[in-house]
Amino acid sequence: MNITPKIRLAGLSLVLLGFAAHCHAKNNCPWINEATAGGLLGGEAVGEFTEPVPGHPAVCMFTQAGQNFTRTLRITVEVVPDTHARLEVATQPCGKNAAPIQAIGNEALMCAPETRSPGLSELVVGRVRDQLFTITLNTTAKDDLILTRSSLKEKAYTASEQVAGNLF
Amino acid sequence: MATALAQNQQPGDQPTPDAATLTPPPAYTARPKGAPPAVDTPAQRDAIARWKARAEQATSADRTAHNALVTPTYNFHYGKLNPFTPGNITVQGEGFIQPGAFPSAEYCGACHQEAYKQWRQALHSNAFRTPFYRTSVNLLIRDKTRGISFARHCDSCHNPIGVLGAALTEDSKVDRARFDSDGLTCTTCHSVLSLDSTNGNASVQMGVPSALVDENGNRIPGEVPFDMILRHPERHSKAVMHDFLHKPEFCAACHKANLPDTLNDYKFIRAFTAYDEWQQSKFSQRNPLTFYTADFTTCQGCHMKRSAITVPDYGAKDGTLVSHRWLAGNTAVPFYYGFDEQLKKTIEFLRTGNYLNVDIFGIQKVGSEKLIAPLGKVAYRLAPSDVLEAYVVIQNKNIGHSLIPEVRDLYEAWVEFTVKDQNGKEIYHSGFLKPDGMLDPRAHSFTNRPVTDEGEFVDNHKVWTIHSVAYDNSIQAGRSVLVRYQFRMPADATGAVTVTAKVNYRHLRQSYLNNIFGKDDHPAYPLVELASRTRTFKIGDNQPEPADPADNPDWMRWNNLGISLLDQFQYMEAVQAFNEVVKLRPTYAEGYTNVGLTLIVWEKYESARKAINKALSIDPNSARATYYDGLLQRRAGNSEREIADFRKVVEMFPESRDARRELGITYYQKNDNHAALEQFEALQRIDPDDLTAHYNLSILYRRMGKPKEAADQQAMFVDKKVDPGAPTYSLNFLRAHPEISTESVPWHIHSDLVGDSAAPQTGK
Repeated sequence: MNITPKIRLAGLSLVLLGFAAHCHAKNNCPWINEATAGGLLGGEAVGEFTEPVPGHPAVCMFTQAGQNFTRTLRITVEVVPDTHARLEVATQPCGKNAAPIQAIGNEALMCAPETRSPGLSELVVGRVRDQLFTITLNTTAKDDLILTRSSLKEKAYTASEQVAGNLF
Repeated sequence: MATALAQNQQPGDQPTPDAATLTPPPAYTARPKGAPPAVDTPAQRDAIARWKARAEQATSADRTAHNALVTPTYNFHYGKLNPFTPGNITVQGEGFIQPGAFPSAEYCGACHQEAYKQWRQALHSNAFRTPFYRTSVNLLIRDKTRGISFARHCDSCHNPIGVLGAALTEDSKVDRARFDSDGLTCTTCHSVLSLDSTNGNASVQMGVPSALVDENGNRIPGEVPFDMILRHPERHSKAVMHDFLHKPEFCAACHKANLPDTLNDYKFIRAFTAYDEWQQSKFSQRNPLTFYTADFTTCQGCHMKRSAITVPDYGAKDGTLVSHRWLAGNTAVPFYYGFDEQLKKTIEFLRTGNYLNVDIFGIQKVGSEKLIAPLGKVAYRLAPSDVLEAYVVIQNKNIGHSLIPEVRDLYEAWVEFTVKDQNGKEIYHSGFLKPDGMLDPRAHSFTNRPVTDEGEFVDNHKVWTIHSVAYDNSIQAGRSVLVRYQFRMPADATGAVTVTAKVNYRHLRQSYLNNIFGKDDHPAYPLVELASRTRTFKIGDNQPEPADPADNPDWMRWNNLGISLLDQFQYMEAVQAFNEVVKLRPTYAEGYTNVGLTLIVWEKYESARKAINKALSIDPNSARATYYDGLLQRRAGNSEREIADFRKVVEMFPESRDARRELGITYYQKNDNHAALEQFEALQRIDPDDLTAHYNLSILYRRMGKPKEAADQQAMFVDKKVDPGAPTYSLNFLRAHPEISTESVPWHIHSDLVGDSAAPQTGK
């Protein structure tokens, strides 16, 4: 039996799989869909999902671009052995501002990350069992009418509930 | 930084799961009681008409657009005509309904702030989002042979807006943030138009949500201005308050569930049915065969009690509102979300109501045939090293359903039995929690053990894999269970030995919490002591002592022992116990009926006849005694008397499934097909899953030339009948788990003395 075609096929599959793992695929974010992301961002959002590779988490990136601003919702998820240690690392952008939020996953913290860039951001770092997730909700507009400071918090909470719910 | 934030830790200035900003209630002065409704001016009528026309147009246009968006990519796994299968829910109109058609809870909360506040912490509002639910439904969604379409079975009750809005499909186009966190929102229950609820699995027809009807009673869809509602609260009531909201049948729509073959690719399996349990309980007054009687009480009567409002609510009557907390048994959800008020009230609810009675009824010295009972009433003598068998009778006294009523594989209630010497040193302990939080595997627990076709315990609520139940030790409403414990009095005992029996409860089982959060990765969840009783045993003479205020009267203590012995197939002992009831209450007809009932089950018909005759001589109108007389008349071949008996019971209790069934059988045996058909059809309206009805209707319809109806009944009989192979799966599980296999035997004993050469082995 000639097995060469099968080996070739397997090799091709591996190449394609590897390619798929490293390129940005269409949105098939497992934790939140475009409609939900769009609702959070205040308009139609375009999603992009990046598969995880060793050392790098899976990433969902949703963007809603306006004339003078860009709003984004970025979600990362990775399985890590020492979630507590990684949780600390992931909340470093918060400085001392990380505050626990209730009823999100096993545990979660939220903050407005310390950043020099204009606009507003809210970061949630949490975990479900050994799955660490981060959620960053951002607007480049300083005076965003939809993503205000308080609504950012609420929307980040809602996003984190969606993500954590799907990770359980 | 906190590294292991407890799930119930209070956060700081952050969003919380019950945060919401309600607008202040609009100004409103209720019309005087009895005042006629406001009369609209022509301009006001026109305004409502214009609003209605615009609302109908907008709702319809939105629905059309929504269907155009979601339908092309929707997974019609069960065909275009069954978009919501395996759930039974349906919706008024064509296609899916947009989530935006449902007015938000905050909209309702403006005028109903108390209801909103309570609902926000209640199980209904959190029906979908909790980790406890998501973990198991996610397993279904991720299952390689199933997927999200199958989750419509669960979400039809847990997230109906998601199901009806086409959110449950792989490539969902629906913004889930609009409804996921609200689970069963106000306008799900209050938009239901009709019920087929005794089939469960969300057997309702959802209407297009409406908060107001016009002057002709036509529903106006969506949110309407508050001033329109406040001008016509009676029209608001017509839109949102249907009579069935007050009835148990409404609750049955979701508090009755089965696992259909469309879910498990196997066959119909009953999941739970709190409704049927209520219907068979004394509280429904529909069942003549209960051991005790009570005032008619609905589900709402216990779980939606009226209480004083603390914030404005225009639905309040005399300053009170029916509870929208639906207090019941779930402590895990309020604990996880930090809903302290809900948790406190839930625990109070569980501990009040005289729901359970714990009776350390008697002791038997091993080697002696004599039961020393009832304790507290009789004198006895104990010696050091006596091996005692304690009879603990647990009565499900005032719960309108079983303990545990739903998802028995997740809730955990058990008996904790301790024996301590005068220094508090433990002599025997059953039902303890191990350091890892797991329950003593040999505890007597009121649970069940669902198993797969491989005989594996279904540990994570993967209900679609259930093929059998290895055992089910729940206590049905009004019944009692006898739990026996064996222990040895200390050889050096001089003082009193204290014996305590408690019924403990927690939500959820530790292994399920471990599945959700990871082992050792969550705090201990609340444990509630539901009921307990303590007695002391002294070396030497023990004299009678005063009863505890919570103790049952002696006749009832014997009666409960008899009931538990009957359920454990100990017929001779059951008759003896019921005879003690007769001695204490010679004019109590039920005592004789209980003797007769036991003798019937024991197949001692002549003796049974005497007992039932005695009962009927005391109370000729006893439906219960008449029913058992009917069975005895059948046995004796007196078919006319048999019919007369069952007809009498049916007249007194038209919704008695047992009487309908037996009368149907009687007519069937007399070849009175039409009369038999009438009874079996009536029975099926009461219980659509009754196997006897399916079987006999199949035959009767065929005889009457109705082959399609006959075939339908035959198919349902085959689907619902227990798989003859199922016991094999149970046995495989029990063989692999000897530590709990004795729990599957009704008559068993709990002891640490097994193998103790000094302990006589009674073989019981």
